Amino acid sequence: MPETPSTSRRGLLFGTAAISAGALLTACTSNEPKKQEAATDNAPVADDKPGKAVTIGFAGPQADHGWLNAINQNAKSRAERYSDVTLEITEGSNDTAAQIGQVQTLINKKVDVLVILPADGKALTQVGLQAMKAGIPVVNLDRIFASPQAYRCWIGGDNYGMGLNAGNYIGEQLKDKPNAKVIELAGLDNLELTKQRTQGFDDALKNYPNIKKVARQAADFTVESGQAKMAQLLQAQSQFDALWNHDDDQGVGALRAIAQAGRKDFLMVGGAGAKSAMDAIKADDSVLKATVLYPPTMAASAIDLARALGQGKGVSGMAELEIPASLTLYSAVVTKDNVDEYLPTGFN
Amino acid sequence: MTQPATPAQQDAPMPAAKSAPDKGGSRRPLGLRLDVRNLSLLGVLAVLVAVGGITKPDEFLATSNLQLVLTQASVIGVVTVGMTFVITSGGIDLSVGAIVALASVWATTVATQEYGFTGILFTAVIVGVGCGLVNGLLIAYGRMVPFIATLAMLASARGLALQITDGKTQIVTVDSVLDLGIRDAYILGIPPLVLVFAAVTVIGWLVLGRTTFGRRTVAVGGNAEAARLAGIDVRRQRLYLYLLSGLCCGIAAFMLIVLAGSGQNTNGNLYELDAIAAAIIGGTLLSGGRGTIVGSVLGVLVFTTITNIFALNNLESAVQQIAKGAIIVAAVLVQHRTLRGGDA
Amino acid sequence: MAPEPPLLTMSGITKSFPGVRALDGVDLEVQAGEVHCLLGQNGAGKSTLIKVLAGAHQPDGGEITWRGEAVALKSPIAAMRLGIATIYQELDLVEGLSVAENVFLGHEPTTAGIVVRGGTARTAAAGLLKRLGHPEIDPSRLVGDLSAAQQQIVSMARALSHEVRLIVMDEPSAALDPDEVDNLFRIVGDLTADGVAVVYISHRLEEIRRIGDRVTVLKDGRAVAVGLPAKSTPTRDVVALMTGRNVEYVFPERPAAGAAAGREPVLRVEGLTRQGEFAPVDLELRPGEIVGLAGLVGSGRSEILETVYGARRADAGRVLVDGTVLRPGSVRAAVRAGIGLAPEERKAQGLLMLESVTRNVSISTLSRFSRSGWLDHRAERAAAQQATRELSLRPDNPDARIRTLSGGNQQKAVLARWLLRGCKVLLLDEPTRGVDVGARAELYAVIRRLADEGLAVLLVSSEVPEVLGLADRVLVLREGSVVHTADARELDEHRVLDLVMEGS
Repeated sequence: MPETPSTSRRGLLFGTAAISAGALLTACTSNEPKKQEAATDNAPVADDKPGKAVTIGFAGPQADHGWLNAINQNAKSRAERYSDVTLEITEGSNDTAAQIGQVQTLINKKVDVLVILPADGKALTQVGLQAMKAGIPVVNLDRIFASPQAYRCWIGGDNYGMGLNAGNYIGEQLKDKPNAKVIELAGLDNLELTKQRTQGFDDALKNYPNIKKVARQAADFTVESGQAKMAQLLQAQSQFDALWNHDDDQGVGALRAIAQAGRKDFLMVGGAGAKSAMDAIKADDSVLKATVLYPPTMAASAIDLARALGQGKGVSGMAELEIPASLTLYSAVVTKDNVDEYLPTGFN
Repeated sequence: MTQPATPAQQDAPMPAAKSAPDKGGSRRPLGLRLDVRNLSLLGVLAVLVAVGGITKPDEFLATSNLQLVLTQASVIGVVTVGMTFVITSGGIDLSVGAIVALASVWATTVATQEYGFTGILFTAVIVGVGCGLVNGLLIAYGRMVPFIATLAMLASARGLALQITDGKTQIVTVDSVLDLGIRDAYILGIPPLVLVFAAVTVIGWLVLGRTTFGRRTVAVGGNAEAARLAGIDVRRQRLYLYLLSGLCCGIAAFMLIVLAGSGQNTNGNLYELDAIAAAIIGGTLLSGGRGTIVGSVLGVLVFTTITNIFALNNLESAVQQIAKGAIIVAAVLVQHRTLRGGDA
Repeated sequence: MAPEPPLLTMSGITKSFPGVRALDGVDLEVQAGEVHCLLGQNGAGKSTLIKVLAGAHQPDGGEITWRGEAVALKSPIAAMRLGIATIYQELDLVEGLSVAENVFLGHEPTTAGIVVRGGTARTAAAGLLKRLGHPEIDPSRLVGDLSAAQQQIVSMARALSHEVRLIVMDEPSAALDPDEVDNLFRIVGDLTADGVAVVYISHRLEEIRRIGDRVTVLKDGRAVAVGLPAKSTPTRDVVALMTGRNVEYVFPERPAAGAAAGREPVLRVEGLTRQGEFAPVDLELRPGEIVGLAGLVGSGRSEILETVYGARRADAGRVLVDGTVLRPGSVRAAVRAGIGLAPEERKAQGLLMLESVTRNVSISTLSRFSRSGWLDHRAERAAAQQATRELSLRPDNPDARIRTLSGGNQQKAVLARWLLRGCKVLLLDEPTRGVDVGARAELYAVIRRLADEGLAVLLVSSEVPEVLGLADRVLVLREGSVVHTADARELDEHRVLDLVMEGS
């Protein structure tokens, strides 16, 4: 299947901003970028033109899941776009100790900037601090370190917002239906992000007194578990109106279970934004009507941020002299109406 | 041709020969042989069915739920049958989950899918058998300890699966494969996957209990040295056993492709532990020399039923795992008790 | 009898296991400083009795008095505290620990109760080993690296590391060479001279005559004779008590001399060699003939047998059956050619202990009962039953678990295996080890009958009288070489022992 296009069709420095701009940036995204019109005309801002050479070290977890693989692809192809960027990418590892070792190797190699997507954010805090103390700015990607001192800039998705937007979308669809029933197929339950997503989902549903969440089961982000847990949920709930599934990868299995059971009487909302899910939304021939994004393009943005940090520049499209300390991406809801816009970001 | 010999009538008056306590004296019926271990598991299963029936009578006791439980048990069930053979022979196969992953991934690449149903089935089975062959050669002729050889296979098969998929989910587009999983394909209300599971179980049961192959498996597990000195080719037997386990993994991989409609490198996660646990609570000795296919399958059904009951009652997976652990301990304790009672 | 109260009195001890009444009112009385022998067939209750004495089993009824006071032996530790130590037949040593660590396992000399003083333990262990006549065993060696005889010494050192008044020895001589046995007896003598009592269990009547003071005979969980004088009670009486009938400890009659001589040899061994184990061996075996290999442990007798069988690969030489050379190092080739082996370690090498008699008997003949791999259970069971009946295996129940059988009947199951296969050459390695006296004569008769029916038998035994009594021809081995070959009738025990020890 085709590679994920990691570059935005829009020219903003944040190629991903169009789909994932945090509140911070939304104001700017409504217009096409005018690079030379950055608010502080005299401040240097990063752009596509070659600048000072920057070596970026990138350490991420093992790409054993579609989304993580897309993260790596985004980082790589973004770095290739810049002739002034050299990307030092490590073997992905899910083992905390191994990842610490990899980051330390990058520190010893004296890379200019580090981009770290930790297997476990809390556990890698120390090594983040180490890098910062060694004078290497760290861009912390998605899974956040325990201390803000361990990174110069954090950029990542909004798990709570993902649940919130999924809940709000379902709420709007069902708002006229009395006694509506909703079920939730969560991801790996021992991850904090799963709890945050569920919390957001529950909070959104509180706005709709006619809707009740009647069941929740946790799968583990794999197709196999998605199929198994969904099959059980379908057996347990002979009738319900909507389903939110946290993850489109396990959603492949969930959709199989739904097809196998021959059920069509509800609407399903996915999560993360896999290409297969977007294709299904576009085709509009299954229960899957929408998915809430958790965009892997954040890795491309992280490379942009790292490059700007390395070159000592700010980012365009903003008035700030410095790179922000924290960027939370927006979890947009992709439906049939806007799917074409997002389809290129869908990952396999 | 044989008259059943009851010790009382046949024992010639021979005062010197002190006849040993003779509890295995009466002849077992030639039909289905259920021993205490199986009985205790049937008891556990009965309790579970009661719990399910009371807590969720409408959902649990429905035909569709029976179909669901059996379907969910079928993939791991086939793996467990192979594992039972290996454990009975005194070995262990830690690579089953990884082989399932590799076979399912290899069989769902774009290239393989072009060959349609046969291509997918054939590839899954060949990859499974191939991995089993490597395991078998390393163990039987390379003199490697099964634990180590299959641990190495676990690591490399998972790695290769990741290499092939690049972490992506390979969606199956061959309709003839996908159609096997849906309701229309049920034969007399039985899902095809369940039929495969049943067939593998019956064949496994017959092979272990009724063939020279099964007898040699038990002999190798019970006392490999005695088997060797009795003229059995212990090494070749071991090779065949790991081949058999690999074959079961290949079949299971195909079943998983049908079920999940895709191949993914995370497939078969921790199957090795589930299969070993099911075999052990079923009454197969981890040290080898005694194995029961019926017990293993009951073990799988117990686990699947627990998962089902918990899901129907919308309980958290954390609680499910605790219950699973408790059941393993309880089942093994009950076995020990009943066994000790029957032991002099 | 001594005026003071006996060291130990057990009276009316009963103990039942599900389905079995193992002890049915046993009495035992042991004086300080005596060697009290416990005799009985397998299953008579000896093991259960010593486990009660060691605190490992709790009796259901009966009384135990220790130095005149009633005691309850609630646990092995309680027994040890009183001064009762037990050396089991299956040595209970930890192979991965050193000699000193094994000796002091559970009561290590420590500093402040925490830090093990390894040096003290090693010194003390070395002292004990010296006292036991084995100063050459290094206390820091791993027990797994020691020979069986040395391990037994370690086990004994462990017993002596406690303040001990009574030592129970369960068949301590079973794994020992004659000179080792002499050493053992010397140790027993030293112990009794110090006032320690020894409860000695053995199948070997001649040993009991040598060191025993008194004998208690058990049969079917009951003491049928208590405190017989060990030296003067006639063997016939002891055997009668054990078996409940009068059995002559006799060997079957040999066929007329030279009956086999005219026949073509079925097995020919030519120049068979294994480096470090045995020098080139030549031998011929004719149908109907029993040839014995006599020699000490380490003389290469078992190794020769296993090499003929293909279980070990020869460095040189060849084995021919009916003139056809066997593929070296292949058990399967040997079995196909018609050789069968009853191995030395019956339980470890010969039997599937979890399985039934039938399955143990049929294991080498499975293909006969199968059609394209599918077994015919009825035919298999019937054939196994026929084979075991021919050998009068008891109980006459093919479904009985093999582990519930006595040693002699287990051995018959191994023989039945090869009888069923219809083999031509039978290799017997210590066929009567662990077989009680009553059953031995029967086993000898079976072996002779098989030979009379045309089988060629190669026999290895550490008991010289057994080789002399059973075999037609004897090869005497010393340090891996055949030093003498003769008709069994031309040899006696003295001559063989001379050859074995000195050569000639």
